[in-house]
Amino acid sequence: MSTNAMNPIVRARNLSKQFGATKALDAVNFQIEAGRIVGLIGPNGAGKTTALKAILGLTDFEGELSVLGFDPRSQRTQLMEQVCFIADVAVLPRWIRVSEAIEFVAGVHPRFSREKCNAFLAHTKLTSSMRVRELSKGMIVQLHLALVMAIDAKLLVLDEPTLGLDILYRKSFYESLLSDYFDENKTIIVTTHQVEEVEHILTDLMFIRDGKIVLDATMDQVGERYAEVMVNPDKADAARALKPLNERQIFGKSIFLFDGADRAQLAQLGELHKPSIADLFVATMKGTYA
Amino acid sequence: MSTVWNDSTPIYRQLRDRVVAMILDGVIKQGDPLPSVRQVAGDFQINPITVSKAYQELVDENLVEKRRGLGMYVSDGARDALLKSERERFLLEEWPALHARLGRLGLSLEQLIEAAKRGEKQ
Repeated sequence: MSTNAMNPIVRARNLSKQFGATKALDAVNFQIEAGRIVGLIGPNGAGKTTALKAILGLTDFEGELSVLGFDPRSQRTQLMEQVCFIADVAVLPRWIRVSEAIEFVAGVHPRFSREKCNAFLAHTKLTSSMRVRELSKGMIVQLHLALVMAIDAKLLVLDEPTLGLDILYRKSFYESLLSDYFDENKTIIVTTHQVEEVEHILTDLMFIRDGKIVLDATMDQVGERYAEVMVNPDKADAARALKPLNERQIFGKSIFLFDGADRAQLAQLGELHKPSIADLFVATMKGTYA
Repeated sequence: MSTVWNDSTPIYRQLRDRVVAMILDGVIKQGDPLPSVRQVAGDFQINPITVSKAYQELVDENLVEKRRGLGMYVSDGARDALLKSERERFLLEEWPALHARLGRLGLSLEQLIEAAKRGEKQ
């Protein structure tokens, strides 16, 4: 365990990637430790997928990047033995049968367990003779998740894993991930626009905007740093004087979001709350599309 | 399971309070196992560190004990210890304010007992 703390799972130094005149990643620095569930959250086009692709060795980049001690550009084969990935465009060939997909992964991945995969599938309505084209979108994700969770990998990368799924599939997706897969020796990086559903699952939060990391903190730190105060109109000016990050109105009261303000001082203005990731996101990304 | 957490107390604290309430109500008895960290994390869709933190609080309060390789179990005497501390907390924190309010409203002990009996019958 102590070695985990010494060797981060991912370490990026001045990571950059340019598409023409656009900087998809602009000299980004971050570090991800083992046993964490990291949410990489950002608006469309912020650089999330580019960052994930760089980590997986799927794109070239400038700067330094080390994943599980490997360079994703030159040591991709070794890296892939320890990394799993579900893309937002999770593609499985339409003609393939469930049993054939299992055979295929068993053939190409040395750390895949057929028994585990079948055990996961036993909790679903999938049968081994079904073809991918007969499956609903939710069932395809179930198959994908079963294949991926049966691989004993150190790092799991999820790019919009629940996109387009109904609530039942979304819930059971994260439920399986937490009860059947995750442990302190594994690390998960997830990107999603559905921040409410990962709110309490994440241990770390990273906001990315215009190719830059604008927030990188543990969830505990987020709770300590940010506070929301519901303020009556007579004290609104006093609240504004403390330079809030954001202000919104609800039922004639103003809700102010503060970063690093003195809690005792804020408590005199009104009731204190912990902001949701969604509120924090909206405040941080203000003006992104304007 | 859909759970609404309040946003003024940390979740691990709320989880700890839930387990305490279950012990007080006798839903889980001494010697009973607590569900595994994974199970709770999956059920409530919260990260396992939060669950471990809640369980650690209970261990620190001697309400729960860790049995190596088996998991967490409610300690012997956990309910009695909780009843004792909850009684003390009530007398120290809640009762003075309640007593003052009863005085302001001018309610007598007889009236209170009468009202409680009527409530029980319903």
